[in-house]
Amino acid sequence: MIIVDDLCKEFERTVMSKEDEAQTKRLAKSHKKGKLKQKKESFYAVNHVSFQVPQGEILGILGPNGAGKTTLLRMLGALMQPTCGSVAIEDENGNRITDPVQYKKSIGYLSGNTKLYHRMSTREMLYMLAQIYEIDQQTADERIENIAKVLDMHSFMDNRIEKLSTGQTQRASIARCLIHEPDIYIFDEPTLGLDILSADAIVNFMKSQKEAGKTVLYSTHYLEEAQFLCDRVIMIYQGKIVKEGSPEAIMEECGVGNLRDAFHHVMEEVETL
Amino acid sequence: MNLKRMTALFKRELTDILRDKKTLIMMLVVPIIIYPLLIVGITLLMSSIMSSQAEKTYLIAFENDTDLEKQIGDIIEDNEEKIGYKLEIVKEKNCQESLENGTIDAFVRVGENDKVLLCYLSAKDRSSTAVSALNDAFELYREELIKEKIEDAGLDAEVMLNPIHYEQEDYSTTEESIGNLIGSMMPFLIVTVILLGAIYPAIDVTAGEKERGTLETLLTLPITNFEMIMSKFLAVSCIACVSAILNVFSMGGAMAFLVSSSLSSAANMNIEIHYETFIPGIIFTIVVMMFFALLVTAVCMCTCVFAKNFKEANNYVTPVMLIFMFGSYAAMIPDLELTAQTAAIPIVNVALLVEGLFQFHYNYGLFAIVLFSNVAYSLLAIMILGKIYNSESVLFSEGLSSVKLFTRRSEMKEKQMPGFGDVVLLLCIVLLLIFYVGTFAQLKFGFFGVAVQQLIILLCPLVYAWYMKADKKHLFSIQIIKPLQLAGSVMIGIAAFVGALILGTLLMPVFPESAKGLTQLDDMVVNQPVYLLILVVAIMPAIGEELLFRGFVMGTLKKRCRPVVAIVVTTLIFAAYHMSLIKMFTIGIVGLGLTLVTYKTGSIAASMCVHFLNNLLSVLITKYPTQIQRELPVLFKDRLSVSDILLLVAVVLICAAVGWMLIGGKKNNKINFD
Repeated sequence: MIIVDDLCKEFERTVMSKEDEAQTKRLAKSHKKGKLKQKKESFYAVNHVSFQVPQGEILGILGPNGAGKTTLLRMLGALMQPTCGSVAIEDENGNRITDPVQYKKSIGYLSGNTKLYHRMSTREMLYMLAQIYEIDQQTADERIENIAKVLDMHSFMDNRIEKLSTGQTQRASIARCLIHEPDIYIFDEPTLGLDILSADAIVNFMKSQKEAGKTVLYSTHYLEEAQFLCDRVIMIYQGKIVKEGSPEAIMEECGVGNLRDAFHHVMEEVETL
Repeated sequence: MNLKRMTALFKRELTDILRDKKTLIMMLVVPIIIYPLLIVGITLLMSSIMSSQAEKTYLIAFENDTDLEKQIGDIIEDNEEKIGYKLEIVKEKNCQESLENGTIDAFVRVGENDKVLLCYLSAKDRSSTAVSALNDAFELYREELIKEKIEDAGLDAEVMLNPIHYEQEDYSTTEESIGNLIGSMMPFLIVTVILLGAIYPAIDVTAGEKERGTLETLLTLPITNFEMIMSKFLAVSCIACVSAILNVFSMGGAMAFLVSSSLSSAANMNIEIHYETFIPGIIFTIVVMMFFALLVTAVCMCTCVFAKNFKEANNYVTPVMLIFMFGSYAAMIPDLELTAQTAAIPIVNVALLVEGLFQFHYNYGLFAIVLFSNVAYSLLAIMILGKIYNSESVLFSEGLSSVKLFTRRSEMKEKQMPGFGDVVLLLCIVLLLIFYVGTFAQLKFGFFGVAVQQLIILLCPLVYAWYMKADKKHLFSIQIIKPLQLAGSVMIGIAAFVGALILGTLLMPVFPESAKGLTQLDDMVVNQPVYLLILVVAIMPAIGEELLFRGFVMGTLKKRCRPVVAIVVTTLIFAAYHMSLIKMFTIGIVGLGLTLVTYKTGSIAASMCVHFLNNLLSVLITKYPTQIQRELPVLFKDRLSVSDILLLVAVVLICAAVGWMLIGGKKNNKINFD
């Protein structure tokens, strides 16, 4: 189970100061050139977010661009340090894991930015990962053999990754997340830009993992996919959770027939606030 | 740090770099194929051009019909060997026009008052060669005329022309001359090849990784930041080192081939070069290169990590490259030599050291300083690299402006304890301040400069602890000490001092200076009044060095590792900090005594007292040698007999045991090793 407690991430952005706005108007009237001062302002990309995801659940994270989905998932993957709040994994015995190294061993993280090492073959990469995850040689052999079978990768296991096609690379990426058999998968827009076959392969993969009792957290813009796949979704807007629940419950609450319309409904609601 | 993970990461980085074509070309193709080909090829080409020039015939004309034409013609005929070129005199009607057309290469014009002009075109190589050969011919003719005139006057031409005979005689061996030549070129070469070897891998593992998008993948792995940086750093340093060594050997081999082939062709010159005399120099150079490669790698990585892609990194690293190459020119500055001061200036120290090595100057003390300072600078750079790699804004490419290298004081937590990084950073800061501020003060103010140095050592740990809002009482082990514990500490101090004395004597055959190093002070301080000496040499170091080593360093280490490790590391750092290979062992023993005292009593006051007494003894020996010699003759002996040594060993054991018991067992040990 993954427990997210009051998570925040603060970033800086450059904005024009208030005096400058006035200054700009004056300058515009007088047609004079002047120097504008910019100042740094901090804002919360993720703003006090709390939720829990039990084992065997698929949680969808939905939201418009810039809502803070990627930042949230990066913090969940321990790639980024939160400004405040905490993320922890609770194992079967009820122990909480917060140490980044131990934490990352229980996580399989995949996003558009996690590219593979082009100059290695898939097999070399998997062996290297096995060493880093401290998996012994025999277990590693067995797992790699098994992964190659499940993902049908035997034909290209020993080719350099730079030579693989998009679909093959995507399968190699999934293999990367599988080698240490994590309990929790975190996927950031995993089906973005993939053809129907590859996207379906990923959707099926997530389903099979859920059936195996694993937890999946993933962000997406494809709401039909989310409606079909997720046990629960959270919608975030400007770093805050604005809606949380099962797709069916949210649709019912908004009085619409599909998740896409529900999403529009929720976003319109928060924007008018 | 997990060694298995580090090894896996290191192997991955190395494989990745070695499969990169750019690096391979830089590392293997350039040194193994291009350099030998260039050096040998160009030399062969040059010599073939030279010989073909010598075989060519150059055409000369005389504008005016004079007697000169016949005279010069005879000279050219008789002295073809001396002139070295074939000249042929031809008849031309309009000489200037022919010269411009290229039908002749030079001509002679006799002007008013028999002034002879050798006319040529400096823009044409053929013409320039022809006129210089013609010039030689005229010089020979002039000498002949002088001889004739002197003989006409009835004098001995030989005596008149050479009233004195002198020659140069070179007492340098061939090896020394060659060493001097190599020494002035080598530093530039080394810096360049290390840079070439380091830059591409450094870009590849930092900006290249970002560009390929694998950095985020790396961050998902269960590794610590330190493991990630160190594996990258070590992989790049390895590549830089190997490629530099390959480069130097391939160039050296090509040069040696050229020298021996040119020597064998000039068979009448019976010169033999003993290449083996350079072996120690080459070995030391390789050691220095390894240390220097660390620095170059760290600096290059620090620069490249800010870039988003390969191209940008290339732009950032170019100024760095220029600075490094500029520094290596130091070896070509005539009067600049390796001294204790220059040995601390990065890049310049390596250049000067390598130059010295090939001139057969082996100064082990300075050698150690160069290595130490290179390590210190590299550590500093790695620390900065660590900070940068912690900065998410750099990792996730959100720009350079919001890099927070160091936390502001207002954001520090109260009562925290420093970490390993803080220790390294503090030691580097102190080292740099001593080198620059301290050395400057010492040069400017003499004896008071020494006080400034001590003040730096004293203030740095205090200011650092204040800045980071550390728990000072805990960190510096500030605790009141009981009289009995103090007595025990002094006993342990005596044991350590005598132990150092024995070791110093035993090391005499290896380092003749080692025994004296324990008690002898610099000449500069001898003439100062005794109260000043006690203040600057005994009291200030006792407080400052104890605060730094037994306080800050040990206080941090004891929190984070086992007591044995804390004691050993503190002692080693203390010994290394004195920057002298000779004194290192004896100081190490004294340092061990001081560290143990602090550990046992849990109070820095004890080691301060012992340190004070130890240094006070040096002051007294310097100021009152005769009295001390009467009381403690053992300190002044150059060689100890076996019975003396046995007696002293007994003293060490007894003092140590008594001291240990006086301080007391575990229950009095106030240091909390949790």
